Amino acid sequence: MVKDITIYTTNTCVYCVMVKKWLGSKNISYNEVNLDVNPERAQEPVDLTGQLAVPVTVVTKDDDSKEVIVGYNLAKLAPAVA
Amino acid sequence: MKQNDLIIVGAGPTALTAAIYTTREDIDTVLIEKGAIGGLIATTDWVDNYPGFAEGISGLDMADRFQKQAERFGAVIELDEVLSIKPIDKLIAVSTTTGERLAKAVLIATGSDYKKLGIPGEDTYYARGVHYCATCDGAFYRGKRLVVTGGGNSAVQEALFLTKFATHIDLLVRSTLKASDVLLHDLEKNEKITVHLGVTTDEIIGDGSRVTEVIGTDIRTNKKIEFVTDGVFIFIGLKPTAEFLRSTAIEFDSIGFIKTDENLRTAIKGVFAAGDVRSGATMQVASACGEGATAALRIREYLEGHSQKV
Repeated sequence: MVKDITIYTTNTCVYCVMVKKWLGSKNISYNEVNLDVNPERAQEPVDLTGQLAVPVTVVTKDDDSKEVIVGYNLAKLAPAVA
Repeated sequence: MKQNDLIIVGAGPTALTAAIYTTREDIDTVLIEKGAIGGLIATTDWVDNYPGFAEGISGLDMADRFQKQAERFGAVIELDEVLSIKPIDKLIAVSTTTGERLAKAVLIATGSDYKKLGIPGEDTYYARGVHYCATCDGAFYRGKRLVVTGGGNSAVQEALFLTKFATHIDLLVRSTLKASDVLLHDLEKNEKITVHLGVTTDEIIGDGSRVTEVIGTDIRTNKKIEFVTDGVFIFIGLKPTAEFLRSTAIEFDSIGFIKTDENLRTAIKGVFAAGDVRSGATMQVASACGEGATAALRIREYLEGHSQKV
C-alpha cells in the first residue's frame, strides 16, 4: 500500500502538471515540492535520481520502501501507486 | 467493447480544436493522449503569435484554456497511449495500453516532437546535462553556463527563456538564424547570449555523471571549438509522432509525415490526420488549430454519410 507520494516540480514544467492531473484523476493525494518556491531543495531530486530533471515522483510504501519515477511515465507511475 | 463516434489520437492544439467543433455538434468524442495535454505548445515558455492574446500567453496557460474549452462541450480526455489502429468493417479499432475500443472515425493529431542530434554523448548524458525542454529542466541551471543548439524560433525563444537561470549561453547555429524578427531583436539585446553562426554541434563530453563540454566545428575554418558548459539544450527541428502507424496502410512522405488529401483523409477510410503530424504542416499553433477545425468539419460530413450506411 502507498503511504505517501511527493512530487518535485517547477512552475513551468508541463509534465509536472500531467503527473498531478493523472494522480488527481485517480483521486490520489500527494505532496508537492515546487523547486521555484523552494530552490534550496533543488538538490533533493538530483540526489534521488542522478538526473537534472523534473517531475520526480517519490512513492513511499507502508514498509517505507521508496519508488522514484522521473518524468511523466504512466508505465511506471501506474503500477507504483496501485 | 467501448465505442465512440470519434477518437482523436493526441490532445494538442489541433486535437483540442477539433474536439471543440465535434462536441458542439454532439459527436461523441474521446481524445487519447500519451504525453502532455496541449502538446509541444505546453512546453513553450511564451506564445506571442496566436491571435486574441495581445500581450501573449504562456504555453502552459494556453494548453489549459484549450483543454477547458473542449471539456466544456463534453470532450473526454483519456491519459493513455494508442498502440495501433485497424479498420474493422465500417469501424476503426483503436488499440491502447489499457485495451481496445472502436470508433466510426479517427483523427490522428499526434503532432511532432523535438529531433535529436544523434551525436556522441547525447544519449549518455540525457537528463544529466542534455535536455530538450527548457521550461521543464531550465531551473536546474541557476548560475550555470549553457549551450543551446539550433537557430529557429524554438532555439532562440528557449535560449532567451534560459537566461532567467543561466549566467551565460552559447547559441550554436549550424547555418544562419531563422527565427522571427521579433525574437532576433530580443536576442540582439540580450547580453547573456553569444551567437556562434556556422558552428556545428559534434560531441557532448562529460565527467561520467555530468556534461562538462560541448565540441563544435566552425564550418568556415574547419576548426574544432570547445565550449565549457554545465548543460546543453537541443532545438534543431521537429519530427512527426507517427511511428505507431508504420504497420498500417497509412502513407507517409519521405520524412515520415502522414500524407492526406485536401480533405485531410488518410489512405485508411475513416481515418483523418491534421496538424504537425501531417505532410505539409507549417508547425504553427494557429495553423494547427485551423487544421483541427477543418478536420472536424470533414469528419462531420464523413459521419453523416457513415450513419446512413450503418
